[in-house]
Amino acid sequence: MKDVLCDSSSLISLGDSCLDGLLYFLHEKYQIRFIIPPEVENELITRPISGGLKQYYFSALKMKRAMRDSVIVKTPAQTGSHTQEILNAANHMFFIKGKPLALLHPGEAGMLALAQELDISQVLIDERTTRMLIEAPFLLKKHLEEEFGVTTMVNKKNFETLNQQIRNMQVIRSSELLILGYEQGFLQHFPEPREALEAALYKVKFSGCSIGFNEISEFLQSG
Amino acid sequence: MPSWKEDIIRILKAFKNRRQKDLRKENDRLVKQAVLAFSVVDYEAALLSYVLAKIVSKPRFFRAEHITAIKEIEHQLVKLVRLPESAGEEDLKHYFVNIKKAIEQLEKKDPRFLTGLLNKGRLKIAATMYAQGISLGRASEMTDVNKQDILDYSGKTMMFDRLKEEKTIHERLKNARRLVA
Repeated sequence: MKDVLCDSSSLISLGDSCLDGLLYFLHEKYQIRFIIPPEVENELITRPISGGLKQYYFSALKMKRAMRDSVIVKTPAQTGSHTQEILNAANHMFFIKGKPLALLHPGEAGMLALAQELDISQVLIDERTTRMLIEAPFLLKKHLEEEFGVTTMVNKKNFETLNQQIRNMQVIRSSELLILGYEQGFLQHFPEPREALEAALYKVKFSGCSIGFNEISEFLQSG
Repeated sequence: MPSWKEDIIRILKAFKNRRQKDLRKENDRLVKQAVLAFSVVDYEAALLSYVLAKIVSKPRFFRAEHITAIKEIEHQLVKLVRLPESAGEEDLKHYFVNIKKAIEQLEKKDPRFLTGLLNKGRLKIAATMYAQGISLGRASEMTDVNKQDILDYSGKTMMFDRLKEEKTIHERLKNARRLVA
């Protein structure tokens, strides 16, 4: 079994794009388990069903079925102090006008803590900010400076604390998972699998996966 | 940074003068202010400026049948402005609720969409915050908008194209392929 820890954004994009079958495909062919913390179950399944969110009802039912079939597996999170440490470092890393910029939500910090606790290095995240904190925090700093038109200061101690916790994590977006599935035959039932891949990549992008048009073109042009 | 009172006075003035551009400008500024020093009041003022800009942009809201509702919005704004500068968050919240009720009343007479102006405003602000660099979860928490709605909205904007990625898609794929190796 190989485990991938998922946040809600990636499962939202896949569910919204009707690509939940990709999770089944990779689970059955490569015994990949998609692990979620309880908060993600709450966001994706419990709240839309019990809260009457009609727009997301069907996606919720599909994810519920994937949980029943053990394709998506919920792990009880016991990450209290670790989550707090990550949250504190992330939310006191960048300072604008002398004030810390609270970037992350406890749920996002909790997911990063859980990845460490479970020793899972591959995380499936479509959300951009958490991904950038892992991959390119200084690019995020530059982005914040451009957006707010002010200098952003970095607290070195918190930067290092966070970096130590997350530097070994590898982020996969639903777009890469889709390409991986395509390479392994997931879209074979389409008359033109490559064309289906292109269309599906655009679909996950429009559903919120943080991928640029140029990245999709770059991949498609590479043949 | 202007006080909440100065913010609301500017919003009221722009609304009374039907200045959509000024209201949008206020909205841009207030959303940034809400992100940097988050307070309920900053966020509510940002929401108000967005919704009022939308109202000003639609001539149908200024037909005779809506005059009472428009006057009520102005009246509630004036009441808010008259509060002392020292008014607490809880007091202000009460007045924001009344303004929102007046806006809902205006829309009620001529409903056209499933999503009302206030919810549209919340979603727009949440997506803007996310585009500015705040995480999805935080933007959702600040605005009380579902993550699903924010992602759906953001996916249809150019926000993921405005920022150059550090890793290429081929480097990312190399990592993803380890899953099936």
